[in-house]
Amino acid sequence: MTHLTLDKVSVHYDGQPAPAVERVSLDIAKGDFVVLVGRSGCGKTSLLNVAAGLVEPAGGLAMVDGRPINGPGSDRAVVFQNDALFPWLTARENVAFALRLRGVSADKRARRADELLSLVKLGDAGDKRIWELSGGMRQRVGLARALAAEPQFLLLDEPLGALDALTRERMQTTLLDLWAAAQVGVLMVTHGIEEALVLATRIVVLAPGPGHVVRTFETNFGRRYAAGEPIRAIKADPGFAAARAELTDSIFEGEAA
Amino acid sequence: MSVSTYSERPAPKAGETDGLSVPWSRPRPKRTVVSARLASAITILVLFAAWTAASSLQLVSPVFLPSPAAVWAKFDVVARDGFVDATLVQHIVASLWRVFAALIAAILVGVPVGLAIGISRIGRGVFDPLLEFLRPIPPLAYLPLIIIWFGIGEPSKILVIAIAMLAPVALSTAAGVRGVSRERVDAARSLGATRAQVIRHVILPSALPSILTGLRIALGAGWSTLVAAELVAATRGLGFMIQSAAQFLVTDVVVMGILVIAIIAFALEFVIRRIERVLVPWAGRE
Repeated sequence: MTHLTLDKVSVHYDGQPAPAVERVSLDIAKGDFVVLVGRSGCGKTSLLNVAAGLVEPAGGLAMVDGRPINGPGSDRAVVFQNDALFPWLTARENVAFALRLRGVSADKRARRADELLSLVKLGDAGDKRIWELSGGMRQRVGLARALAAEPQFLLLDEPLGALDALTRERMQTTLLDLWAAAQVGVLMVTHGIEEALVLATRIVVLAPGPGHVVRTFETNFGRRYAAGEPIRAIKADPGFAAARAELTDSIFEGEAA
Repeated sequence: MSVSTYSERPAPKAGETDGLSVPWSRPRPKRTVVSARLASAITILVLFAAWTAASSLQLVSPVFLPSPAAVWAKFDVVARDGFVDATLVQHIVASLWRVFAALIAAILVGVPVGLAIGISRIGRGVFDPLLEFLRPIPPLAYLPLIIIWFGIGEPSKILVIAIAMLAPVALSTAAGVRGVSRERVDAARSLGATRAQVIRHVILPSALPSILTGLRIALGAGWSTLVAAELVAATRGLGFMIQSAAQFLVTDVVVMGILVIAIIAFALEFVIRRIERVLVPWAGRE
C-alpha cells in the first residue's frame, strides 16, 4: 500500500518572521481522499506544495513510502485553481503532455488522451483550443492531464475555487468518479465546507498562527456516493447537516468573534 | 436658485408633453460615428492635397519639394531603368537581404541571451549591463568602429543592423520568460518535466508572443538603421540610393526612396501581425 506521509513538517518562507506551518503530520494512503480546510493563512497550500515537492520543508520530512521527497514528480500530479493549461496545445495535447515528456509515440498518447477525456466527459473536445473551453471544462482537462501521468497521488489546490456554484457542484461528483476510477490517493485544499464533506474520507482542519492541525474528521459521504447513493440524498441526510455544523464550528473555533 | 417640488409643478395640459420627461422619453438622436480609420484616411488625403497644392502653385522650389507627379514619374523611371547602376527592385532586394540577415543573427543571439536573462540570475548579471550599454547608442556612433574592425564589406553592414536589433529581441524575450506563470511551470514539473523540458515545452511557448513583439520592434529598429548601414561603400540598397540622390540634389528620388522605405516597413509590420495571429492565436485570450 502506497503512503504519502508528512512527518512533523514545518514550513518557513524566506523573509517571513513566523513559520507558515509548524509540525504538521499527515498520512494519505492510496484510496484516501484527504481534504485540508481552514481559514486563510493556515498553511493548507503550503502543505500541499510540500507534498508536491514544490516547497522544501524547514523541518520534518515528506515521504512517499518512506523515501524522502526531494522535488516534484509525476507520482504526485498537481492540479491548480487556475487551470495552468498550455494554450498553445489543444485539449488532447494538453492531456497527453506527461506522455509526450516520456517519449510515448504520438498515436499512442493521442489514444490515451482521448480515453481520459471521455473519462472526464469531454470525449468530443479533444481538438478544442483551451480558450474555447469554459472554466469547468478547463478544470476537467487539467484533471485528465494530471491523471495521464499515472500518478499515485493527486494533489488538488482549490481545483474548483474559480468555478461558479452550479459547475462546482457538478465537478464534485466528477472528482469522486475520477477518484474511484483512478484508484489514487487524493490530497485536496478547499475553502468549501460542504465540498469537503461531500468529497473527503478524512477532513483535516487547520488553524493559522502558525498553521497547525486542530481536528481530524473521518467521513464517509464520498464513499457513499462512490457506492452508488445519489448525491442529493446524501446531502439531504440529517447526518450531513450535523457533520457540517460540527465542521464549521471547529474551523471557526478560537477565532475572535 | 429656485427649488420646486413635484406638487408645485403645474399638471401638463392635454396635448402638451411634460417638459421634464422629454429627455428621458425620447430616444437620443444617433450620433454619426467617425472611425479612426476614416480619420487616418482624411489626414493622409489632406497632407497629400497640401503637398500637391504647394508644388503646383510653386510655393516651394522643386529642389526642396518635388511634385507628387514628379515623384511618381521617378518611381516609374527608377523601377525600369534604375538609379546609380541598379533598378529599384535590386535596391530593395539588397536592403531587405541585409535587414533579414541581421534579423536572423539577432534572433540566434538575442533569444538565447533573453532566455538566460529571464531564467538565471547569473545570466541576468552578465548580459543586462551589456544590453543596457548597447541599447541607447545610436548606430551612427558605432558604425566607424565596426568599419575599423570588420572592414567595409557586407558583414559590417549586417552587423550594424543586427546590433540595433539585438536589444529589442533579447529584452522582449527576457520579459516574456519572466512573465511565465509560476503555476504553469509547477504543473509541468509535477507532471515529470525536467528543467530542459520545462524550458522547451513551457517557457519558450509561453514567451513566444513576447518574442514576436520583440521581432516586430527589432524590424522597425533595423529598418531605420538601414540608411546608416548603407552610408559606407555600398553599391546597392535603398539607403544608398537616397544618399546618392541627395548628393546630386535629385530630390524626387530622395522622396520616392523615403516613400518606398515607409511602404515596405508598413508591409513588414502587416506580415508580422499576420504571423502572430497564426503562431500565437492564444495571445490576449488566456
